[in-house]
Amino acid sequence: MKYRISSSRHCLVMVMLSLAAASSNVYAESDYQALQNEVQALRQELSELRALVKQQSASQEDVKSLRQEVKATSRAQSEATNADSVAHIAGYAAVGLTDRSQSGGSAFSVASFNPIFHFLYKDIALAEAELEIAAAPDGTTETKLEYASIDIFLNDNTTLVAGKILSPLGYFRQNLHPAWVNKFPSITPGFGEGQAAPSSEVGLGVRGGYPLGEGKKLKYALYVGNGPELEVDGSEIHGIESDGYTRDVDHRKVVGGRIGLVPLPRLELGISAADGGVGLEGEPDRSYRVLGTDVGYQWKQLDLRAEYISQRVGDLATSVAPDGGTWKAWYGQASYKFLPTKWEGVLRYGKYISPHADQRQEQWAVGVNYLWGPSVMAKLGYEFNQGLAGENTDANRWLLQFAYGF
Amino acid sequence: MLNNSFHWAASLVSAVLLSMAMAGVSHAEPSASVQDDPGHFARGAQAWANNCASCHNLRPAKDLRDDQWRVVVAHMRVRADLTGQEARDVLKFLQESN
Repeated sequence: MKYRISSSRHCLVMVMLSLAAASSNVYAESDYQALQNEVQALRQELSELRALVKQQSASQEDVKSLRQEVKATSRAQSEATNADSVAHIAGYAAVGLTDRSQSGGSAFSVASFNPIFHFLYKDIALAEAELEIAAAPDGTTETKLEYASIDIFLNDNTTLVAGKILSPLGYFRQNLHPAWVNKFPSITPGFGEGQAAPSSEVGLGVRGGYPLGEGKKLKYALYVGNGPELEVDGSEIHGIESDGYTRDVDHRKVVGGRIGLVPLPRLELGISAADGGVGLEGEPDRSYRVLGTDVGYQWKQLDLRAEYISQRVGDLATSVAPDGGTWKAWYGQASYKFLPTKWEGVLRYGKYISPHADQRQEQWAVGVNYLWGPSVMAKLGYEFNQGLAGENTDANRWLLQFAYGF
Repeated sequence: MLNNSFHWAASLVSAVLLSMAMAGVSHAEPSASVQDDPGHFARGAQAWANNCASCHNLRPAKDLRDDQWRVVVAHMRVRADLTGQEARDVLKFLQESN
């Protein structure tokens, strides 16, 4: 019995061993297959990695090249930013149409280009010049040097200006006359060249400002220059030309300036005065005096400003034009930006009084501007003019202007 | 006549000297104050809004490159009678906003 049992156990062990062996063979075969698959996958992966590495090697070349490019650009940028001398061209351009309703004439009357060249050396000196290149009515081209000066920054509060400068007298001529700054397509009566407001001067001056507290400031501009010249028509002084002369026919300098007070942010009050001589070639000098006052205020989208200026020339009995006279003008202007739209409305009143009736003019003007950008705009305006009957100063007119400051 | 011109020229020179004395900076060191106080962004934003808008529409920083602003601000320093400090502040504001 025992033998039978032990024999049976033996048989069972043998069967189990046989089964185990068979099973082991099956597992070995499946492992081999799995390994083969794995190797295949690894080969595939290796192949892809090799391709990637090859590709990355190419990218590294690109990166190297890019780095060099960035370095060069960065150096150029750094040089442009930190170089001692920097040059820049700014300026403005204007084109326009004028239509006189009473005389029935209309013409594309304005095509002007005013490049301004700036050259800055450190924070020490600035050389600047503006040219006005404009198409004349007869098809010729007028070129004029508006100003050309060297400005030396003496300190934080004083800049020395020398050369041909915009007249520091008044506010409109030196700050508001560029087409992209002026709110209306035309210049207010009396503030054009050769009228009541001096435009340019050749001489030497100092200007700058002193802070008086939060947003408050005192501004000043003082100068000495050759002064203007007289334009004589027959036995009368027709006008005072202040184009900026490098000669001084009357041999007497003009000295003057403007003091501006900013008592509150965005409110500026200014007074201007000048005294000196003016005359004609070969004649003794005669007195010349300028007085002016101006105010400007901005509140939110509202811009208000007004200005008065006068030039007086004394009498000279021995002159070919013995009678002197006073040329004076004033204006008030309000403009409002209708944000968030791009529209702006303008209302202006101006009056020009001259010794000559044909020059006198009183004007109401209303306009609307469309701003594509802060310095790119279209301006449409209408002037209600009163002057000597039959003169252009008496004709109402439409004006359309496109202006771009750059 | 000559005396008159001399008188006014002397007055102008006096004004320059007085102005330099008030600023406490000598002509030989025009950039000394630049090193003392570089531009300040917040002050610059305020000065930009107060001064530039007094004449023309405000031009955003992106209108020009940083190096161009350097020259334009120098030009406006003369035209608008900005102090040197205001000019540095405005330049800082424009360049950092660019």
